[in-house]
Order: sequence, then C-alpha cells, then structure tokens
Amino acid sequence: MKESLMEIVCCPMDKHDLELDADERDDGEIISGTLTCTDCGESYPIEDGIPNLLPPDMRDGA
Amino acid sequence: MTDEVDDGTTATDLAERRGQETKVYQPAEDSGLLADAAKEFARGRTLEVGTGSGWVAEQVAPQVPEVVAADVNPHACRQARERGIETVRTNLTDAFADGSFETVLFNPPYLPTDPENEWDDWMEQALSGGESGRELIEPFLDDLGRVLAPGGQALLLVSSLAGYEEVEELARDDGFVPEEVRQESYPFETLSILRLTRFTLCGKPSAGRIE
Repeated sequence: MKESLMEIVCCPMDKHDLELDADERDDGEIISGTLTCTDCGESYPIEDGIPNLLPPDMRDGA
Repeated sequence: MTDEVDDGTTATDLAERRGQETKVYQPAEDSGLLADAAKEFARGRTLEVGTGSGWVAEQVAPQVPEVVAADVNPHACRQARERGIETVRTNLTDAFADGSFETVLFNPPYLPTDPENEWDDWMEQALSGGESGRELIEPFLDDLGRVLAPGGQALLLVSSLAGYEEVEELARDDGFVPEEVRQESYPFETLSILRLTRFTLCGKPSAGRIE
C-alpha cells in the first residue's frame, strides 16, 4: 500500500483514524507493518502490501 | 453469472466445469457491463467493492486519478494487487473513511441461494446473495452514503435474479436516485447497471429540462 492510502482508510469498527507503523518499505510502498486505531487501540496487519482491515473475529481464514 | 442454476448445480461446479479456479471470481458478462459503464461515468477517486480478480478496477484505472479495490477474500486481494491495483482487505466499505470516494463500483454476489444448499467457500461468498439475492446489496447501500464524497455516485450491477425493482426500492430508501445506464438480457437473467446519485436541491433529476 502507498502511504497516501492512510487518508481514506479507517478502523472498520469505530471509523476512527489509524496510525501507521511500517516494518518494510519498497519503492514508496509499505509492504508490511501495522495499522493501529487511535481510539480503540485495535491493530491490523499489513502483509504483502495489503492491509487487512477485517475486524479481529473475521480476520482468520485464507 | 448467466448459467442455469436451477438444477441443483452449485457455482463451484460451474466454475470447475469452466476449468477456472475456485477461489476468486473471474471476469464474466457482468464484469464487462460494469466496466463499460465505469468507463463512461467514473470520475475522481474510485473504489471497487468486491473487486474479485481486480479486472474492473484495472479497466477503469487509466481514466481516473486514483483507484482502490476492496475485497473480503484474501486470494482476490492478492490477484487485484498483482494487477497493480491498490487493494484493501475489508468487508464492503467498512474500512473507508467518510466522504472518501467520488465513484464507487460494485458487482455484488447476487445469486439467490437456498440456505440448505450453501457450500461455504470463497467462491460461494463471491456468488451467493443469500436467500433474496440481496443480502450484500442491502448493507452496501446502507453504508454507501457515508463513504461517498459530496456529489459522488455509485455504479451498481443488478441482476433480475436479485430483483430489479426491489434493489431500486432499497436504493431509494437510502436516499439515492437510481438511473439505469446499461441493460443486457441473457437467457436466464437481465443485467442492469444502476447509477446512484443523491438528491440535490438544485435541479431535480426527474424534472427534465433545467431552465
């Protein structure tokens, strides 16, 4: 994901802003990291460049 | 999704018969109709909900400043990203901030499915619209107004299998003005694209000529 995506994504549960913690970047993109809700504190993984913004109870299953 | 399905055949069978993979819905007639309408109407930052393979998002990408694709299916998310599309794994529009998009595209799962015949895999999720065929369309329409920017629009594929009038009614209930901008008939269904906009104070959409 590009960092500009931060402008339009939010916590799927309470719609508050997310804070980005990037672990791996490549060519301007965030490949892995974590998005954390600034309100409820729930964290969401970014894997292979794709943020997984499903609520925790829907997150598993591939 | 124009195949005969009244004989108890599941969509998984259909997909296997076509020699396709069974985890991600691949472009079909409905995708083509949505892409065609999107090429005419899409503008501004555009979201494709339930992108599947990412094909529609890829078709519209050259003519809008930014395209984002969303899907609940991780396999679909990977395929869309491989096409170079910015992709978010989320349910419908749940993870998008208010007023983010000028255009939202959605080719929903719409096959009416008997609960006793559900087969619970990713392809079913891509095809089944629950008993009514509208079980994903309803929550989509309920949250659509939140993520649309002022003056924003949605292009929604509607199959006669899911009930054209019923979907129009749901859209009106959520404050949208539905306008049919594409229609194509197939042996077992008619596919339409509904363009949904909000009522505005200046220029009633149904008032005809604006003075």
